Amino acid sequence: MGREIDARSGVHSVARYALALVLVTLALLISLAFQNSIGNPFWFFFSAAVILSTWLGGTGPGWLAVIYSTLAVMYYFMPPLHSFAITPRELPYFVTFVACQIGVTQLISWRRQTEEALRQARAELEVRVAERTVELKNANQALLRRMDEQRRTEEMLQATQAELARAARITTIGELTASIAHEVNQPLAAVVANADACVAWLAREHPDLAEARAAAERATQGATRASDVIARIRSLITKATPEKLRVQINQIVEQTAILAEGQAARTNVAIDLELSPDSPIVLGDTIQLQQVILNLVMNGIDAMSTVNDQPRTLTLRSERQDGGHIRVVVQDSGIGLTEEVKSRLFEPFFTTRSKGMGMGLSISRSIIEAHGGRLWAESNASRGATFQFTLPSEDGRAS
Amino acid sequence: MKEQDPIVFVIDDDRMIRDGLQSLIRSVGLRVETFASAQDFLGTKRPDTPACLVLDVRMPGLSGLDLQLKLRDAGIPIPVIFITGHGDIPMSVRAMKEGAHEFLTKPVRGQDLLDAVQKALASDRELRQKRREANEIRARFESLTPREKEVLELVVAGLLNKQIADQLRMSELTVKTHRAHVMEKTQAESLAHLVRMSEKLKTATRK
Repeated sequence: MGREIDARSGVHSVARYALALVLVTLALLISLAFQNSIGNPFWFFFSAAVILSTWLGGTGPGWLAVIYSTLAVMYYFMPPLHSFAITPRELPYFVTFVACQIGVTQLISWRRQTEEALRQARAELEVRVAERTVELKNANQALLRRMDEQRRTEEMLQATQAELARAARITTIGELTASIAHEVNQPLAAVVANADACVAWLAREHPDLAEARAAAERATQGATRASDVIARIRSLITKATPEKLRVQINQIVEQTAILAEGQAARTNVAIDLELSPDSPIVLGDTIQLQQVILNLVMNGIDAMSTVNDQPRTLTLRSERQDGGHIRVVVQDSGIGLTEEVKSRLFEPFFTTRSKGMGMGLSISRSIIEAHGGRLWAESNASRGATFQFTLPSEDGRAS
Repeated sequence: MKEQDPIVFVIDDDRMIRDGLQSLIRSVGLRVETFASAQDFLGTKRPDTPACLVLDVRMPGLSGLDLQLKLRDAGIPIPVIFITGHGDIPMSVRAMKEGAHEFLTKPVRGQDLLDAVQKALASDRELRQKRREANEIRARFESLTPREKEVLELVVAGLLNKQIADQLRMSELTVKTHRAHVMEKTQAESLAHLVRMSEKLKTATRK
């Protein structure tokens, strides 16, 4: 590649020198041809040849033209003619000619070089600008890509966090269920065994009252133990995290709605948020309050699972109430509550579901009461049920 | 109580359940012994009477299933009634495969448990009877001389005296003598009886 360029510039420079020779020769021939008719016109023609040679060919060919035309002038036009000698009388004239030629060629070649340098600088600048533009464009694209990536990562992170929170909650509930089932089942087994024994002792031909009494007493102990277990679990759940902070209830409601979104989507339920516009603040434990709301929301979604003749809508509302209270309402359009169910809703282990544990509402009520609030349920006038709780507001404002 | 009275072993780490089950089983006139752990049970000498085990699956230390395997490996054939708080299917399948007599979930209805206990005791009584018979027959068979045992094998296989004589290279008269001794020593009333006893012994040994 480099050698090719050298070769080409070599050919080019040979051509430039040849051009100088041709031009000066042309000037010589024209001067000779017009010598007799116009006097001595070499001055003009040689000057023109030198100027053109320098202009088109550059410094080297310019110098060649100067030397060649000097020699030609000395030989053909300076007396004595046809010799390179010069008479002393003609010397100043000749010297002036040569000086002029040199001056012209120098000036032109200087001008040419400057132009050349300028052109190169400009070209270089253009190349550099182009390069920089490309670099900038690449950098910009990389930046955009990275921003995109970051956004995706953030979205993924959020989704994962939500999933994790849901999973943690479900795991906790699952473990809790298993543990409670065992803890409660054990004393219940004792109650049944002892009660059966008591009956058996009484059913004998000669009833053994002492044995029957002992068995009955053990049955009572077992029942007491079972209720102790329940009390312990309740206090464990309500007192586990007594970390009460100033929290925005709207935020908690919203976060819970996000947690329940998956289940809602799967069961075709639309969650409708109607949040109080002035962001009320309560004193409470975020996790526990979330647990309560999630529990109510899940119950609501469950209650609508058999509703097919109208849209399944769950309304989540927060609002200020008289007396410095905040009310959170979870309203469904599900199967609603019968009087019998309503009266037993908050009893531990009461459930209408085949796989329910019947602890959710009981625990939720304990949590709300520990927060200084109230939790209750009502049947809707038209359809479904409304669960709601109040909490004292912490921002000192009343509606 | 007589030594031959059946006995029910109750093993459960929960005292209240243990006492309840014991009282329940005693109320129908059965003898009960309770243990708080599988180790305690293994460490006690058991009387030679019909018995059954009422066993909690989930116990600290040796679990009910572990104990069942231990007893089986030690060649102690005692029927086991399992009681579990959470009757998951794989666990009950495993227990039944290992020969559990019954698998009941907590809380157990008293009558269900008593029925299971009675059935297990009856089954153990029957097994023990069979074992005793087999042992008796074995004792009788073991009093035979080596020659008589050879003759017995072929008699039971259905060969005639002449064939036996040929095979054992003895006279037919000698075979007849040996045969008479066999019948006498094993107290066989007929050839058919002898064959039955020999079969019983074989099945008992196989077990």
